[in-house]
Amino acid sequence: MRSNLIYSIFVIAVLMALTLIAICLAETVPDAGGKPHPEFPGLQIGGDGAARLQHIGMLGFAFQSFLLIQIVLLSILGVAERYRSNSLIIYMSACLAMMLLIGWEMFSGHLQFLDTNETDYFLGFPNATAWQTYGTWLGAIPLVLIYSLGFRKFIYTEEDERQFNTLLAEKAQQQE
Amino acid sequence: MEEYRQEIIISAVVVYMVFCVLTGLWAMRRTHNASDFFIAGRGLGPIVVSLAIFSSTLSGFGFVGGPGLVYSIGVSSFWMVIISSIGYALCFFLVSKRIRMIAELRDCISLPDIVAARYGSESVRFMIAVTIVLGVMGYLATQILAMAVVMQAIFSGTETFANIGLVTCVIISSAVLIFYCVTGGIIASVYTDVVQGTIMIVAGSLILLTAINVFDGGMQEATSIILADDAETIMPYGAAGIMASLGWFFVFGLGLAGQPHIITKLMMNKEINDNRSMLPLSLFGYVMAALLWISIGIVMRAAVLDGRVEPLALPDDAASVFLSVFTNPFLAGIVFAGLFAAIMSTSDAFLNIGTAAIIHDIPKAIQGKSLENELLWARVVTVLLAILAACFALYSHFQDATLVAILGAFGWGTFAASIFPVVAIGLNWKGASVAGAVTAISAALLINFISQLAGYTFPYGVSGQLVAFVSSMALFLGVSLVTKKPVLDTDIDRVMDI
Repeated sequence: MRSNLIYSIFVIAVLMALTLIAICLAETVPDAGGKPHPEFPGLQIGGDGAARLQHIGMLGFAFQSFLLIQIVLLSILGVAERYRSNSLIIYMSACLAMMLLIGWEMFSGHLQFLDTNETDYFLGFPNATAWQTYGTWLGAIPLVLIYSLGFRKFIYTEEDERQFNTLLAEKAQQQE
Repeated sequence: MEEYRQEIIISAVVVYMVFCVLTGLWAMRRTHNASDFFIAGRGLGPIVVSLAIFSSTLSGFGFVGGPGLVYSIGVSSFWMVIISSIGYALCFFLVSKRIRMIAELRDCISLPDIVAARYGSESVRFMIAVTIVLGVMGYLATQILAMAVVMQAIFSGTETFANIGLVTCVIISSAVLIFYCVTGGIIASVYTDVVQGTIMIVAGSLILLTAINVFDGGMQEATSIILADDAETIMPYGAAGIMASLGWFFVFGLGLAGQPHIITKLMMNKEINDNRSMLPLSLFGYVMAALLWISIGIVMRAAVLDGRVEPLALPDDAASVFLSVFTNPFLAGIVFAGLFAAIMSTSDAFLNIGTAAIIHDIPKAIQGKSLENELLWARVVTVLLAILAACFALYSHFQDATLVAILGAFGWGTFAASIFPVVAIGLNWKGASVAGAVTAISAALLINFISQLAGYTFPYGVSGQLVAFVSSMALFLGVSLVTKKPVLDTDIDRVMDI
């Protein structure tokens, strides 16, 4: 995967395109994209959540999962091939697992609410929305940490800096 | 104090604008050539670049349209904001190091310069430059119009300026913008961005604290009111539904690394090692400022449903009504200054990249060299571009909004779809070919343009921008994989190994 990463990225891109086609071809339901509020102009409402997810719910979740996988694969693409070590792959896999878990908690929490019409709250939002709001925001923090804390190990090592400075010096010499 | 509300707000805005003018004068002495004008001579520190990156990301839309969207469609709009951590991380992983290295190696001053160096193709440079110019016109016109509308709303609240016209407001706001952009170029832009970014962080934090205290039960009471009215609105995918939300996740998350006004800033830092601190700093600033987007929208929707506030005439009034009903005049002054800061920081970034595309990249793509005396032309074209955008904004407001709407389609989504594959993937994969790049850009422009012109809507809230982005990525990879592996220039080949 490390040297042929681009093929994995291509496969995920095609799977996302196919999922999107499947969603567009799925049986439609009225007002799947929302409808005007009956009382207040300017406000939209979602209406029957179960009906909106009936034909495309799992496809939507699949699209979200492919997107999260693609984000992690693209992040690995941003690391030079020789630095795609086992430790990097483990960090990235853990990051992906966490993002997928957050995505699932949000999706399943929403389905559970549609079944029971009951929800707990976490820091001001219904549980499923709290997973979405705080979870999505914080779920990518490990990516930020890998980049910032691992900068000299994975992104731009001292050896890279030397190589780049050599390249600049050669270029300057050529121009003289 | 309440009786002086308008005066306090106007004072805050005037102080901010005077600061912009003074910064322009100061930066003029540091602007000696085109490199200084467009990329600040690659000499900026990490804090300055970080604040410039995030303040350029959050335009006036974040202060006006964003809260309005949350008010109108609920949590769906959160997806544009909460993906910021993913978006910034991806942008730094894929773009920051190599764009900075190529900029220094080839003395690049614009994004199309980078693309031309990477692909060794003037066609790709031309296509990216034209995409930027089209996008800039749409973006700039809407930003200038937004600035004028807000200014008119503020001034019309006073007795002296009660009848101030929109044209006058366009002239005043454009004049300030043009002055500091022309005199100080990108140096003035980034240093005003520092103050603009700081104002936005302060405004976002204070607004969150205010919003939490509007209801006795805090944010939970507000969300409970919304849930009781229509549960879907406050559930993870909001009123617009799952595919509209995930479309924003895709287009705003991945697409951040394809925004020319943002990634051009990654060419400006002095040291490549600064990237490690620029990522968390940019993200922190954005998150703090974006708190305003979410908190105002939620509280205003709950307040209207609860009968505390009259229904708004327009969703975009959410922020201004919130400020007039729930905040004291000083906070309102800071937020209005923050609003102008958000609009101007994005506008100056667009003016800069649009000018570079017109005087540097398009001539270079057509005749093989850029214009003589680039600095002079840069200043002239900056003025002309801003005036054109201002006229365009007024024409769209008074006569016909169609053209701006169409060019508006050449905004974030089109930049994302056409630039992300070519730049973000292309800088990290030697197999990316000219044919792949041309196909991806063409597909992105065509799909966006046709879906906008035809007014075509896809089922389940799937947007034309999402379709364009997914298509351009798949096509870019597919076409590059089946075409002959390109032979890169030796220096670029070596950079891509680092």
